[in-house]
Amino acid sequence: MNAPVERTSALAGIGESRLRKEDARFIQGKGIYVDDVKLPGMLHMDIVRAPVAHARIKSIRKEEALKIPGVHAVLTADDLKPLKLHWMPTLAGDVAAVLADQKVHFQMQEVAVVIADDRYIAADAVEAVQVEYEELPALIDPHEALKPGAVVLREDLAGRTEGAHGARTHPNHIFTWEAGDKAATDAAFARAPVTVKEQLLYPRVHPCPLETCGCVASFDPVRGELTTYMTSQAPHVVRTVVSLLSGIPESKVRIISPDIGGGFGNKVGVYPGYVCAIVASIVLGRPVKWVEDRIENISSTAFARDYHMTGELAATSDGKITGLRVNVIADHGAFDACADPTKYPAGMFHICSGSYDIAAAYCRVDGVYTNKAPGGVAYRCSFRVTEAVYLVERMIDVLAQKLGIDKAEIRYRNFIRKEQFPYRSPFGFEYDSGDYRTALAKVLAAVDYKALRSEQAAKRKDPASSSLMGIGITTFTEVVGAGPSKMCDILGVGMFDSCEIRVHPTGSAIARMGTINQGQGHQTTYAQIIATEIGIPSDVVQVEEGDTSTAPYGLGTYGSRSTPVAGAAIAMAARKIHAKARKIAAHLLEVGDRDLEWEIDRFKVKGDGSRFKTMKDICWAAYHEPPPGLEPGLEAVHYYDPPNFTYPFGAYLCVVDIDKGTGEVKVRRFYALDDCGTRINPMIIEGQIHGGLTEGFAVALGQQMPFDAQGNLLGNTLMDYFLPTAVETPKWETDFTVTPSPHHPIGAKGVAESPHVGSIPCFSNAVIDAFSHLSVTHMNMPHTSWRVWQQLETCGIAR
Amino acid sequence: MEVKLEKRFPLAVDAERAWLVLRDVRAVAASMPGAEIVEQVDANRYKGTVKVKVGPASANFSGDVELLEIDPSARRLRISATGADRGGSSAAMDLTASLEAVDGERSVLLGSSHVIVNGKFAQFGGRLIGQVSDVVLAQFADNFAARAAALPKPSATPASAEGQAAGATASRKTELSALAIVWGLLKNWVLALFGRRA
Repeated sequence: MNAPVERTSALAGIGESRLRKEDARFIQGKGIYVDDVKLPGMLHMDIVRAPVAHARIKSIRKEEALKIPGVHAVLTADDLKPLKLHWMPTLAGDVAAVLADQKVHFQMQEVAVVIADDRYIAADAVEAVQVEYEELPALIDPHEALKPGAVVLREDLAGRTEGAHGARTHPNHIFTWEAGDKAATDAAFARAPVTVKEQLLYPRVHPCPLETCGCVASFDPVRGELTTYMTSQAPHVVRTVVSLLSGIPESKVRIISPDIGGGFGNKVGVYPGYVCAIVASIVLGRPVKWVEDRIENISSTAFARDYHMTGELAATSDGKITGLRVNVIADHGAFDACADPTKYPAGMFHICSGSYDIAAAYCRVDGVYTNKAPGGVAYRCSFRVTEAVYLVERMIDVLAQKLGIDKAEIRYRNFIRKEQFPYRSPFGFEYDSGDYRTALAKVLAAVDYKALRSEQAAKRKDPASSSLMGIGITTFTEVVGAGPSKMCDILGVGMFDSCEIRVHPTGSAIARMGTINQGQGHQTTYAQIIATEIGIPSDVVQVEEGDTSTAPYGLGTYGSRSTPVAGAAIAMAARKIHAKARKIAAHLLEVGDRDLEWEIDRFKVKGDGSRFKTMKDICWAAYHEPPPGLEPGLEAVHYYDPPNFTYPFGAYLCVVDIDKGTGEVKVRRFYALDDCGTRINPMIIEGQIHGGLTEGFAVALGQQMPFDAQGNLLGNTLMDYFLPTAVETPKWETDFTVTPSPHHPIGAKGVAESPHVGSIPCFSNAVIDAFSHLSVTHMNMPHTSWRVWQQLETCGIAR
Repeated sequence: MEVKLEKRFPLAVDAERAWLVLRDVRAVAASMPGAEIVEQVDANRYKGTVKVKVGPASANFSGDVELLEIDPSARRLRISATGADRGGSSAAMDLTASLEAVDGERSVLLGSSHVIVNGKFAQFGGRLIGQVSDVVLAQFADNFAARAAALPKPSATPASAEGQAAGATASRKTELSALAIVWGLLKNWVLALFGRRA
């Protein structure tokens, strides 16, 4: 008999740095993405888009386009109107134009679609469609949009004073959302000896996955079945929406998300391109492919952030925070298509009290329409958590600076203490577990924080120094794993997730999931959970996702919910199998259930280690000689509705050097300690953290979507929009602590987003810390050389 | 995007002859590389086209030109123009142009324009608009001066010069030359490295 250690490692279960199962096909170019799907008779769609941000459509002439050989159809809003598909509901309770209906609301909005024999003909025909516009003044600044007398964007909502989230106070106002206790917070501010206030702009950015969005819609007119291959992070939700919109029974709608080249929130929504391709396929009875190009992706699909925040802290003179007050103007673009749980139009923004024990807190978010693309997704974060963490991590630095307290010390003074968990936040969240002090102490020791501060002080005294040095710290808490269905739903469907496991007679298994991998390594990590739970090697566990005809209903992958929700569903389904396997083992060994004990991959008779049945034996028996009264087979399904969110946390430290001549910010050191609870695959965690830190670096130091006064987006190509490559990316140092979630079956919390959420304010804090001795309290992102150089100029220290 | 251009071009021609060109919308258009008046709608309104080609990208704007004001005593002219390209760009311009006499042989052409560009040209060309317009306008000034200089001296036959501006045979480029633009950009960039502009 093999030793337990060998048997454990043979399973390659939880805790093993198992190589990614997906990589074999990806590194050989054998992945199957939507654009790889080619069906017989397939046509191609391209989109006529608005060149201006705000205009009335006076006429659309398609005759010339239809004359081009190979063009099959040109569809406009008027063509979709009889089907009632010219507008569609959004995830946020608003409606969005599928094709511009009389009015254009943002630049690059979809105005018409052309379906042709190939992509080239379609592109030529797009230029032949003549659209006459009457330009209207564009509203780009959400503050301007709320002024009395501002141009009204949404004429379709004229007279509606109630929106999906309560009263609308202005024709361009979408909602007001509040959390916390306003009266108690105002009182805390009135009493406080010290207060600080800062305006923070979190600029509009785009998740910019390497693969753009697209679909292949294929309607079979004979069978009445619609199959659509789609770049979707939530295929089941899409199936429900498509069925509701088209009237095709949900059982005849099949959505397949094949391999996906990154999502980061961008692939959560339902876009006009999908709807039009589906309509075109139904109308023409042929498959229709639509794949957008890079410019279309950045210009028209879901953006992230665009939060204009005012943060305030009240504190005692020794730096204990007594109150937090936040007001946000949220620019949602032309249609409110934010991807948030229905009841939370600002997502989980009320996690903004962070890792700190604050007695009184209040936040208010006002959503506003502007002439920009709709969206507002969680770009590698849980719903609006990045914005929340940015706010509190920036504000605590502002407070430290005002009081002259060290930025690490002020965090120690305000942390929720280990013994306070489960901790109820002033906004009503119940934090599951955490140990913030230990995490920060470990980071400070690892980088020799005192020495760094001494070096910084010496540099500041040296007038000859050619650079500024900044040290940024963040100690963040995320809220992920949406979520408990009593609080969270999407279009009325609770945010549970699901797993179906079928164990085969020869001891291998297939698991089908309601989530969908976009690079997270689900096929690897999910199999590891099953391996540990039921004792069969992860190598023989297949994981399938993304096909709604085979997978159980799930809400998809975004907001770091796969491990907290679907990961729990796997463990629970596996435990059902485990329970049945115990009965079979007892039957085979002719003992009672309770006389057995589990060890790694087998049930042993208590007290007699020589009598056992391995899981492989049990699998065969389940199909060959099931116990009397027990059905044959070894399968289980579990729908997991989480009792709470999970709360991963981390402590990050960043050291930057800023060139006084050029304003260039060089990241000298970045140390990231993450605590995501139980670690399923340390190598994949490390990879996720590297990816998240790199995307955080991109946002903090370069990404933005600038608009001019007319609403032209001036950065929608990769020439302008910053995607860091290995050349720009700094070296990352990672570390961890393990504080399991007490309510999760395996104690895991989710990790993919922590490095993004936690690193962005860390970079900002480092850059601003470099200027802190010059009375600078805040600088808006992105910290590009040009912008930092302007700050050097303002301070009179540019060389 | 919004661009405000204030330009000053010294011309080696007297103000009187230069004015004969400036007051004639067709002649002004003919001096602009790539531009052409294709139709006169009424006394003050025209239809025109502008062809622009930079490398592989080309655009063909067509639109309306309106003469807003013509002031012979101040030798000043105001026009507005709007146009769109089928590839998804549009532009609108208000231009005030005037002439200042320096002496009997020389004058200065002053141009002040306010241009709004939307669509692809604004999105992709935004960062080049300043430099491209420098090059284009320099070509324009050369063409303009050549056209004016080709007119007979005002002192000789003032009356017969009327109406000749448009028909003047001065050589001009019919299209915005990609090579010329690239060369102009390159030259300006190199000069900028040494701290000056052409």
